[in-house]
Amino acid sequence: MKDFDFEVLVVGSGAGGSMAAYELTKAGHKVLMLEAGRDYDPKTETPMFKRNGEAPLMGAGTIDKDFGYYDATVDGGWNVPNEPYTAADGSEFLWWRARMLGGRTNHWGRYSLRFSEHDFKGKSRDGLGADWPFDYEDIAPWYDKTEALVGVCGTNTGLDDMPPSSDGILQPPPKPRITELLIAAAAKKLGIPLAPMHRAVLTRPLDNRAACFYATPCGHGCSIGAAFQTTTSLIPMAKATGNLQVITDAMVKSVDTDENGKVTGVSYVDKKTSTVHQLKAKVVILAASACESARLLLNSKSARFPQGLANSSGQVGKNLMDSTGANIGALVPALQGRPIYNEDGHTANHLFIPWWGHKAQERKELDFPRGYHFEIGGRFSEPNSGIAGYVQGYGPDLKRQVKQNYGAYIGFALRGEMVPNEHCYMDIDPEVKDKWGIPVARFHWKWSEHELNQVAHGLKTAKAIFAEMGADVGELPTPEQAILKGGEIIHEVGTTRMGASPKDSVTNQWGQSWDCPNLFVMDGGVFASNPHKNCTLTIMTLAMRNSSWLSAQLKQGAI
Amino acid sequence: MAKDQINNAVDQQQIQYKSGMTRRDSLKLMMALAASTLLPAVLTGCDSAPVSKTDTGAEAAKTTSEHWPELKLSPITATGYGKDPNLILPPASPWPLTLTQAQLTLVAVLADILVPREGAVPSASEVHVPAVVDEWVSAPYERQQQDRVTILSALAWIDDEAQMRFSKTFVALTKVQQKAIMDDIAFDTAETPAQFKRIASAFGRFRSLVLAAFFCTPEGTKDIGYVGNVPIGGDYPGPTKEAYAHLDKVLADLGLTEYAYPIQT
Repeated sequence: MKDFDFEVLVVGSGAGGSMAAYELTKAGHKVLMLEAGRDYDPKTETPMFKRNGEAPLMGAGTIDKDFGYYDATVDGGWNVPNEPYTAADGSEFLWWRARMLGGRTNHWGRYSLRFSEHDFKGKSRDGLGADWPFDYEDIAPWYDKTEALVGVCGTNTGLDDMPPSSDGILQPPPKPRITELLIAAAAKKLGIPLAPMHRAVLTRPLDNRAACFYATPCGHGCSIGAAFQTTTSLIPMAKATGNLQVITDAMVKSVDTDENGKVTGVSYVDKKTSTVHQLKAKVVILAASACESARLLLNSKSARFPQGLANSSGQVGKNLMDSTGANIGALVPALQGRPIYNEDGHTANHLFIPWWGHKAQERKELDFPRGYHFEIGGRFSEPNSGIAGYVQGYGPDLKRQVKQNYGAYIGFALRGEMVPNEHCYMDIDPEVKDKWGIPVARFHWKWSEHELNQVAHGLKTAKAIFAEMGADVGELPTPEQAILKGGEIIHEVGTTRMGASPKDSVTNQWGQSWDCPNLFVMDGGVFASNPHKNCTLTIMTLAMRNSSWLSAQLKQGAI
Repeated sequence: MAKDQINNAVDQQQIQYKSGMTRRDSLKLMMALAASTLLPAVLTGCDSAPVSKTDTGAEAAKTTSEHWPELKLSPITATGYGKDPNLILPPASPWPLTLTQAQLTLVAVLADILVPREGAVPSASEVHVPAVVDEWVSAPYERQQQDRVTILSALAWIDDEAQMRFSKTFVALTKVQQKAIMDDIAFDTAETPAQFKRIASAFGRFRSLVLAAFFCTPEGTKDIGYVGNVPIGGDYPGPTKEAYAHLDKVLADLGLTEYAYPIQT
């Protein structure tokens, strides 16, 4: 990069890093992006129309490809060769990494729900966790800009859990499926509404990206650009300005500082040659994903920063949160043998169940403080290794049973807000290092009664909705049995949280570290709380807003 | 491969199941065949005629206590396809296949009892389900290795049972004799006799795998009625009139009509 005189160095090419690069390059700043994974070209590498039967093991998930053979994630997952992590005694935590250009945006669920004023001010409401250092009104225009740029389909519902987008921002949602319509009626009888999911999937063409053609699983990736991933949108758009260059296979090991504590650049390992390189930059933006950015800061120790960089508050690595998760499902007899039609649509929720219990929580009628939503599974999907379900016998009658049950199984996936607690954090393992000699992350984890009570409520609610549909989910598991592991929902955030004071937070509301004015964090690490709504839309929105602010600071000469 | 050679290969499955082709090669082949000619119905499944007890010898020979084969399986040491396999052209044989010829033949016979040919819809072995089973139980991953123990034990149990009842391997039994054993192990319910509980559960896992392998083939996917993965111009059309009408009836039956979600058609 000798001939590329860049001003800003961005670590990570996922949602936060790519949005930062897009916003800054558009504003005329030269940006160099480092990605720890390999280069990736969705145009040629996406197995769009591939069928399960063509893949090893009918496409079933394995330790090599956790979400199935055709999942777009390459060189990543909960287990990345050469890059271990550890868990403290008594803790279990799964850490997902996507080591590829575009990071997790290549395969994510693309659920894109705005946080509300309510979500940003949890502590003011119930005394738990931390408030965010701004109000919903401050960020609402940036949600509009992000949704318009990314391309989000959905509608304004008027529900208190779903703040409206400005007119003309959202693209129209696809029609609901029969399963979703049945659930909607059953839930409504219990006073629970369903609503169109907001998803980062185009239902109308946008710039050079095509609208969804309602075929091929979104998880395969989307070479036509309809399902949002930075490799088909923000990265090429930023490159088109002439202001972005990208180095892949670049594993950053430390953020470097001078004797005044000012950040000077980063050191990285070229994974192909195992050589270490140093890069100087005016500004460094960490967007490596929450725990990777925190790991980097904790590993960037110096005489001036003995506890790690940007960690004068001692909060780096603390406040680690994931979403709560639990699954519950059943065969719905009323749907057996129903008329078949194409239920692919875009291959995730058209309708879902947003959190409906704010008022009950205000009235203190619930024994848990924060909300959850249900994502819904159940449609005529392409057969996979689990297609048989629970059947008996043999011969023609056996096949008839499978056909009869096809499209009649419904599953609910709970996703809920977790309150940060002192037992959930990450630090650096004192002994273990990865292949590149970089000390690895060590996780500490324990769910509190807030999460367990919430999951118990979710299980009971789901059982009641299933009962209205004439389906029996059987005996409910305990919440301890049902709750998924920390990290399993892959919504880990909070390890470099933003706040109003340098005493108890790592960055200010702009993602600017309190300790080093030219060091920013623009991934989920800055989340002060983790509302039940999937985090990526807010990561992108904050990255856009904060890069815009950074650009102004650079132009004013303030940084 | 010429068409008659393929027919010969399929014919021989009656005696000995051949799995010379990789599954993905065979998929291509079967699709090519489907385009040119109908495959002969060379394999018949179980017949569904009632079976009298004297035909099966069941009363005399049926096992009354549990037996279970203790297999000594050599561990699978192959590596998997790795974190970054070619997704466009998956590896033809991701790992060495491990079923013996006798096991493959037994799998083929059992698979066709589970999923026999029905009219124009081929049987499980006709669409190379045994090759998928072989790939599955030979895979070096934890879940598949667990299934390997379960399924190979089930296969051994079935031959043991055939020997005990009829002094022959399962494959060599008459259809009526095969059906007698199936009737004892293919139903895993509260009424399943104690001596068949374990095999019924193991056979259930095998059944799920055979069904999955069948329905994941182009023929099986068509047979189940999946109509997706087809590009649509314009907006997603949503449910058909017939599907909406069915929903209306379901809502009425469940007393949910007044709560129906508003539909914009």
